[in-house]
Amino acid sequence: MTTNKVSFLILEKSYVIRSGLLKILGDFPETGKVYELEDSRFLFKVLSREQVDVLIVNAKLTVDLTDVLHKIRNKFDNLKLIIFVGTRRSEDNFPGFDLKISVDEPKTDIIEKLQKLIQKIKPPEKENLSEELSEREKDVVRQIALGKTNKEIGEVLFISTHTVITHRKNITRKLGIKTVSGLTVYAILNNLIKIDDAAQPA
Amino acid sequence: MVITKDTKIADVILKNHNLIPIISRFGIKFGFGDKSIKQICDSYDINADFFLEIVNAFNDKDYLPYRKLREMPLNLTVNYLLKSHYYYNKIKLPFIENLISQLEWKGEDAEKNKSVLKKFFSQYRKEVNEHIINEEKEIYPYILETEKNFLNRNNLNPEFTEKLKTKSITDYADTHEELNSALLDLKNIIIKYLNPPENREITEQVLTEIFRLEKDMADHTELEDKVIVPVAAEMEKELKKQL
Repeated sequence: MTTNKVSFLILEKSYVIRSGLLKILGDFPETGKVYELEDSRFLFKVLSREQVDVLIVNAKLTVDLTDVLHKIRNKFDNLKLIIFVGTRRSEDNFPGFDLKISVDEPKTDIIEKLQKLIQKIKPPEKENLSEELSEREKDVVRQIALGKTNKEIGEVLFISTHTVITHRKNITRKLGIKTVSGLTVYAILNNLIKIDDAAQPA
Repeated sequence: MVITKDTKIADVILKNHNLIPIISRFGIKFGFGDKSIKQICDSYDINADFFLEIVNAFNDKDYLPYRKLREMPLNLTVNYLLKSHYYYNKIKLPFIENLISQLEWKGEDAEKNKSVLKKFFSQYRKEVNEHIINEEKEIYPYILETEKNFLNRNNLNPEFTEKLKTKSITDYADTHEELNSALLDLKNIIIKYLNPPENREITEQVLTEIFRLEKDMADHTELEDKVIVPVAAEMEKELKKQL
């Protein structure tokens, strides 16, 4: 599921502003992890170690960060940069930033801009629109519900264990169901197996 | 809002109803009048500092929690965790199970739906129970023993020294995620895949209770992962140096 999410890093000293940004980001279902940093000490470290899609930086910090930001732009190709400014009237240009948002902007404007950016990062895939299981995936769910291991499922369906695991990942992503018990319930409710054939729950 | 000893306990609950089960876990009954937290804790013989840390931590995620809890005797937190085990096992899970058994459907799938949900939940209860037994029989006693020996480290209990040689807190497998996944699955099943039951009110109650339980258990796990386990691990590390 996490693959459909957009993760953010907020670099901002003020707790009040960070909370506000967090709240706005939380309004988007696409928002995944949001990291917060008060200063730039660990900026590079976090960007290198975590999967971050969007970095939001306070304009006040960018003056001292020119070099760092330059390095970041070069190193992290796909990272989107949002600059956060004190007032909308500031006509300053911030080259290299994908978006400018300001503290005195109305919510609807900010939301609209962020929405566009998020869609650029994670365009709604056609595949995601249909969460229907393929026939093959249904076969796999059926076998899981019968209590088979990945290896056994592979043997029954003439596919490799690796392929079984891939199917399982996709099934979980599509259905939002992860445990064997949960998949068994799904299989029974959708008449993929009879309730008496289910291995679990015992 | 930061809750202090002088805060009226009624105000705490009026502000945040999620704290209701926490307060009842401490044995505090309703009808508190205008009593402050300090007064209530005194009358119930509850450690007020500990009580405050717990309600503040659960009330506001930004309340830098756990630091003070880490400095308090571990048995305070462990006792609290034992009480929430009791609450899950003997109160909340049976309650939800009972709600689920009240769900009704029309048509030919009625029996099937009923039976499959019941089985799922009883399996979940079984897993929760196994998890709790393991914690109460193995993990908590080891943690408390570690603390006891740490406080008395000039005079280690020989039996414990033997344990220390072979055991480590980090060995205890963590099955929290599995239990949490089961709750997520159940939510998805009811919201997305189950034929809607006839009694909507009960269905909503089941869902609400699952969401609450999930939150409660997440807080519970945090206390383990951020307080008792790391504190005991530190002590264990020091003690192992002594071997």
